[in-house]
Amino acid sequence: MLLYLGPVIFGFLIGFILGTRIKSNPESNINFTLGSYLVVFIIAIIVAWQLGPFPYYDDIPIATGFLSGAIGLIIGKLLLGR
Amino acid sequence: MSPILKLFAFPASFIIICLGILTILGGHITPGGGFQGGAMIAAGVILCVIVYGVNDSPIKFSHDFISAIESIGALGYVLLGLAGLFASGFFLYNLGADFYGIVPQSIVDIFHYPDLTNAGIVPYLNIFVGLKVLVGLSAVVIAFLQFKKLDLSEEIEEE
Repeated sequence: MLLYLGPVIFGFLIGFILGTRIKSNPESNINFTLGSYLVVFIIAIIVAWQLGPFPYYDDIPIATGFLSGAIGLIIGKLLLGR
Repeated sequence: MSPILKLFAFPASFIIICLGILTILGGHITPGGGFQGGAMIAAGVILCVIVYGVNDSPIKFSHDFISAIESIGALGYVLLGLAGLFASGFFLYNLGADFYGIVPQSIVDIFHYPDLTNAGIVPYLNIFVGLKVLVGLSAVVIAFLQFKKLDLSEEIEEE
């Protein structure tokens, strides 16, 4: 199985850049904890599965650009988005 | 805004942002591209800013971040064009695909986009345009909301 690296790398990069901008606000009455990010990530995996091998990358049966973007968003938030 | 909207807006914007990233990355083989994907990401950011407010929004774009990403997008596009000009003599020549066979293979390997299509620099141009558009459209809404806040604070001071 050959994984096309283009969408994986650049999806992660764009997601990481945006993830660094996600800030937690302790004064707000609605806080998104680590568990809520986990739930959103599971939903992102389901959406990527439903999208299928979009756009015509048939290496694995999920949208790799979508999933790497979601991973980049969460890692960017955990590392730099405080 | 109501708590239901506040619970829904951030997860929805997360998914919208991921779809925007997918649109940017599929720009060279599907409908869409840098502008459309950037507008989708900006829509996710704007949803958060409108529902939570400028100060309480979980996705915050500072002035420095907006100016940095806008500059990276514009500079990257121009630098890719200039690279084509210096290597082949044509501005924005597709160095990664090299359809005319006028560029050495080592340069083609540098600019080749790693997927099954022979797209060359087109995905990179899409990514730079996407970065520029996402901060540009977000900046407009953030600026308008801050002007409104400024206006309201002046009214309170007058009273």
